[in-house]
Amino acid sequence: MTAVETEDSAPVTTQSPPTPAITEESSRRPSALGVLEAYALVVLLVGVGVFFSLYGPTSSTFPTSGNLQVLFGGQAVLAIVALAVLVPLICGEFDLSVGAVAGLCSVVCASALSSGVAVPLAVLLAIGLGMAFGIVNALLITRVKINSFIATLGVAAIVDGIVTQKTGGLAVVSNIPAIVTSFGSGNWLGIPRPAYVLAAVAVAVYYVLAHTPYGRYIQALGSNREAARLVGLRTDLLLGLTFVAAGTLAGTAGALQVARAGGADPRVGATFLLPAFAAAFLSAAAIKPGKYNVGGTLVAVLFLAALNSGLNLTGAEPYVSQYVNGAALLIGVGLAAYLGRKRLRQATARR
Amino acid sequence: MTDGPGALGLHGVSKAYGPTQALDGVSFEVAQGTVHALLGGNGCGKSTLIKILAGVVEADAGELEVRGGRHDARDVTPSVARQLGFRFVHQQRTTFADMSVADNLAIGHGFVTGAGRRVQWREQRAHAAATLERFGIDAKPSQALGSLTPARQTMVAVARALQDQQDASDGILVLDEPTAALPAGEVHLLLDALRGYAGHGQTILYVSHRLDEVLAVADAATVLRDGAVKTTSPRAALTHDRLVELIVGRALEAAVATTAARPRDATILEVRNLRSAAVRDAGFVLREGEVLGVAGLLGSGRSTLLRALFGAVPLERGELRLAGQPLLLQGPRDAMAAGIAYVPEDRISEGAFGDLSVDENLSMATVGTYWVRGRLRHRDARGDARGLMRRYGIRAASERAPLASLSGGNQQKVMLARWMRRRPRVLLLDEPTQGVDVGARAEIYGLVRRAVDAGTGIILVSSDAEELALLCDRALILRRGVIVDEVERPHITDSGLEQLLLETEAVPS
Repeated sequence: MTAVETEDSAPVTTQSPPTPAITEESSRRPSALGVLEAYALVVLLVGVGVFFSLYGPTSSTFPTSGNLQVLFGGQAVLAIVALAVLVPLICGEFDLSVGAVAGLCSVVCASALSSGVAVPLAVLLAIGLGMAFGIVNALLITRVKINSFIATLGVAAIVDGIVTQKTGGLAVVSNIPAIVTSFGSGNWLGIPRPAYVLAAVAVAVYYVLAHTPYGRYIQALGSNREAARLVGLRTDLLLGLTFVAAGTLAGTAGALQVARAGGADPRVGATFLLPAFAAAFLSAAAIKPGKYNVGGTLVAVLFLAALNSGLNLTGAEPYVSQYVNGAALLIGVGLAAYLGRKRLRQATARR
Repeated sequence: MTDGPGALGLHGVSKAYGPTQALDGVSFEVAQGTVHALLGGNGCGKSTLIKILAGVVEADAGELEVRGGRHDARDVTPSVARQLGFRFVHQQRTTFADMSVADNLAIGHGFVTGAGRRVQWREQRAHAAATLERFGIDAKPSQALGSLTPARQTMVAVARALQDQQDASDGILVLDEPTAALPAGEVHLLLDALRGYAGHGQTILYVSHRLDEVLAVADAATVLRDGAVKTTSPRAALTHDRLVELIVGRALEAAVATTAARPRDATILEVRNLRSAAVRDAGFVLREGEVLGVAGLLGSGRSTLLRALFGAVPLERGELRLAGQPLLLQGPRDAMAAGIAYVPEDRISEGAFGDLSVDENLSMATVGTYWVRGRLRHRDARGDARGLMRRYGIRAASERAPLASLSGGNQQKVMLARWMRRRPRVLLLDEPTQGVDVGARAEIYGLVRRAVDAGTGIILVSSDAEELALLCDRALILRRGVIVDEVERPHITDSGLEQLLLETEAVPS
């Protein structure tokens, strides 16, 4: 990888019409419309917040620091699961097992804590278990060559089975050390502590995706797998690693869930999957339109949470949040496809 | 062929995209029962014109005259286009290889159905058989389309488009690069068929980059440049050189530096007893600064040879030496580490990252070099990309534009730049100018010449004998995986190569 051409300025010998100068302007300055598009979801999020803060039935409950803290703290776990969905999604693959794996990891972590295992060890156990399932997914997909959708669907079902077998359907809540539960429910500087964990995880994922070659490579994989192989990328290894990353993130989410809930509910995993997918798909409608990205995922998680919380406070029936999540998933997928096409059309018209 | 009455007339058709005038008052006449070629470089407006005729893009101004009736060009919708008798066969494959010929004819046209929308298979087959007969296609309705030769598959696509026409003189067939996917030896089959249809009164608007085909099949040609008609001339007034001049505004030969640097003596790559899939015991040497051509028909193993040298297909046997050192290839990474680069034939499926930006495409084989102290230097990568775009003559809205928004020729230049920036010692090129217009072709030849001057050894696979004759210092003739002959400059001529290929193919093995 060393033989990179330095500047040699010999022009193509057969230059026909002069190449239009590529000005800084044309390449740098984003259009006003582009900015609006990139931040539309943020504006919508603010709009939802403002609406529920002014709207009569919720104006006294929604904008309170208590509610906002619940909102931020409660979404940290879901946001990490959404990031777990995001990584394989960039190379065009689905991981349907992240919810179930996060659920199992939280159950295992809580059981370990309640039987007296040291906190750091229990956390590592959860993360390691998540990573192990990620490796299983990776092997099924890259070695056995099972379609990722099917492989992770199968693994998710088995993991759900393990959870039920292990817990008998009962929550694990006894003997959780106070340090864990206080971490999950306490604040630093007025911000729930789990939000700091999320921030650290999000920065790490953003760094890997946007500032390392690995991030560029998995984008290439999502764009054209054969071309990726022919520029020398180890496609199977890279693809497998995205599932390992997803499993590891799911394990982290599981451990955080124990702190957040003060235990582990065996049914919690199932509730993560749909909103996590909705947020990951909606991410393509924000910050970097047409591309799945970390910032967009966080905005989407918050947007869905604010919407659900506000609706909840108005006294809407619980099924309404199912409508919201389902619709968000569909709109997210539709928008991602539409914005991708639009980006291409605009560039074509300008050439 | 007598010039009948006008089947189609265009009057002042214009279209602007923002500030860009894609078509500027285009007017020409197409006579009934003729093959009329539409030519022009990338971005000349011919795709826009076709889209207007198809009703996909709305014109800004102009009129269409179809068999005497005048229509406002702005009012053409897909259904109006169909009523006016326009039938299209697009460049992209729109047939289904694993379905039967009868199914292929019915899809997009309609199955013969009875009560309850049940497909009446027997009638369907009979209808298909009649259609095949009418268009002179030697195939059975029940046959899988993929089992036909590529030329016949294209003829099925043409038949599908034309089958509901009552009479050949009713409509206008628009063919967009119909031979792009055909091997060289099959092209004349399709051209013969088209001439036959024209003989029965079918009017054909034929869009192609390949000038030889146009000269072989067309009765007249219209050349577009920068959205305006350069000329509309009858065949008799056209020659190859004249067309090139009209399209690019200069001659092709002049575009390739004739002062070909002599290859240096140092051997860069030595291949012995290479065996991989179709390739049998190939052995040859490549010298520094040499262009070594590989001529062979489709299926001769020419692409496999290149892929094997890049480690993209495993070697069954054989020995490679690069600059005297033994070379062991486990995969493309090893080849790249040794300084070998490969630009595959099928750009869309094997080279391009269409939804990624031009700069991301340019840096994909060199991303590691921008990884400095734990960060990707995005700004450096983009700056370098702008430099490369200037140097390689890549025309795009910006380096941030998605690759798929570029024209084919510019995408191909991106592929070349991606690899050439690595300063490879050996560059493997598979059909580097396929589906590329004449102007971009000349630029690509210039790039090849420049790489050679820098000492790179190039192996060039091409089914275009003219291209081989123009660029190569030496050429290998490949037949069914075996190198059967070798020709050296100045004995490489296009007719000579064609002859060698045909001869070698005629000898039974």
